[in-house]
Amino acid sequence: MAEKKTTIDVGDGAAIPTKHDIGLFSAWWIALIGALGIITYLSVFKPDPYWRILKFLPDGVLVTFQVTILSIILALILGLFTGLGRISKNRAVNLIASTYVEVVRGIPLLVQLFYIYFALGQVFANLPDSNFVFVFLKNMPPLVAAVIAMGFCYGAYMGEVFRAGIQSIDKGQTEAARSLGFNRRQTMFYVILPQAWRTILPPVGNEFIALLKDSSLVSILAVSDILRRGREFASVTFNYFETYTMVALVYLVITLLLSKAVSSMEERLNYYGRR
Amino acid sequence: MLKRVFLTGFLLVTLSSMAWAQKTITFASDCTWPPMEMMSEQKECIGFGPDLVNAMAKAGGFNVVIQNTAWDGIFAGLAMGKYNAISSSVSITEERKATMDFSDPYFEVKQGVVVREDSPFKSEADLAGKTVGAQIGTTGYFAAMRIVGDKAKSYDEVGLAITDLANGRIDAVICDDAVAADYALMNPDYADKLAMPFVIVPDEPEYLGFAVKKGDSETLEAINKALTAVRDSGEYDQIYKKWFGSE
Repeated sequence: MAEKKTTIDVGDGAAIPTKHDIGLFSAWWIALIGALGIITYLSVFKPDPYWRILKFLPDGVLVTFQVTILSIILALILGLFTGLGRISKNRAVNLIASTYVEVVRGIPLLVQLFYIYFALGQVFANLPDSNFVFVFLKNMPPLVAAVIAMGFCYGAYMGEVFRAGIQSIDKGQTEAARSLGFNRRQTMFYVILPQAWRTILPPVGNEFIALLKDSSLVSILAVSDILRRGREFASVTFNYFETYTMVALVYLVITLLLSKAVSSMEERLNYYGRR
Repeated sequence: MLKRVFLTGFLLVTLSSMAWAQKTITFASDCTWPPMEMMSEQKECIGFGPDLVNAMAKAGGFNVVIQNTAWDGIFAGLAMGKYNAISSSVSITEERKATMDFSDPYFEVKQGVVVREDSPFKSEADLAGKTVGAQIGTTGYFAAMRIVGDKAKSYDEVGLAITDLANGRIDAVICDDAVAADYALMNPDYADKLAMPFVIVPDEPEYLGFAVKKGDSETLEAINKALTAVRDSGEYDQIYKKWFGSE
């Protein structure tokens, strides 16, 4: 009688596919090659209007990147402080950070954009020229307003990412550091945060991609990003189908490349899963 | 008993709708263009356009439904058949004529330039190199592109452009002169902050028309006939007087 198999392979059940399962890999390639292929095909064989549309978009791509990168930097700074504030023992700091997260997460990003740009803009416009902060607020260019709005919103989400990352570090690390004579601040900056980065960075990468996609919302503030450029083109030529096809494909190519970068970064950081 | 009530009600509704079997023309309007089309606090689209359309419906013997539609995409909706016509201060241009048909003109516009009260701009040439805003896809935006090229900024609604102008973020806004005058002279929030120093004189006069789907001659004919009737009866002049004060 044959030996009865007693072990169960992890792959037998409803497990999450790894990168070694070809499926995930090829989906990414199909999407990327498909998108690039369609863009190339349309621009070469139907230059009117597709090539014209493609030529119209690049400065929009630049603006989208500007908004995204500046916003993520602002969001990271805000997020770090919010995350630290959320786990702070100081009641006032904790309350401020938590309230910020609650308020921002409860208001749609589009409404926040309108609020910071148009509603506060009206308030700023009536400020006196008495000091440089007022003057800056008064003459704030739309791009800066958009970045502040996006960064302010994503800072709250980022704060949660930071908090979760810090809390994921075993309590023993803190205890060890404290017993070695580190004070609370030193423990956080020399022991906990360097380790927490590993947990924090992958979700930050995902937030980055999400922010890039959400940056299309700033087109409502007359910031000339990819979507706004596309809408301007369509409003003149009435080529809605062709224009939005191109806009969607350009976004797709950008996010696909970024998601690849994020996932390879994730792999490099994944010490625990390394074989 | 209840059944009979329902049946009678149903019959009544059917009969009455048969008796009133008039053609219904659905008009799309972007109600953010005062005083031509705007939203009242009762959430009705009011203004010169809706008044004219309603008068035309009475004269032409058809029902009218005005559907508030965002400007960006209003032409796409017409092509898709979501409504029969557009009554939204649409200027008749050669480019637009290629994709849709227009009724007889019902209004003449020029492009008005709105600036802040303290601005030095007195002519088109002064605007060179300045940031000029306009509503996306309007003839005002086309004029802005012609004058300042890439410095033209497109907004979803003219009201947002005016807000940015009043808040000091852009230098000028170009829109139909009737709308420009409304913001610069009549609007309680802006009248003392904004001014309309000049209008852009076009090479050829610019007219507003009702747009219908290309080839929809039936709707076009009904609209043209009604428009002529309203003009002949003097009702047009009354509506004009109501919204613009003079003739």
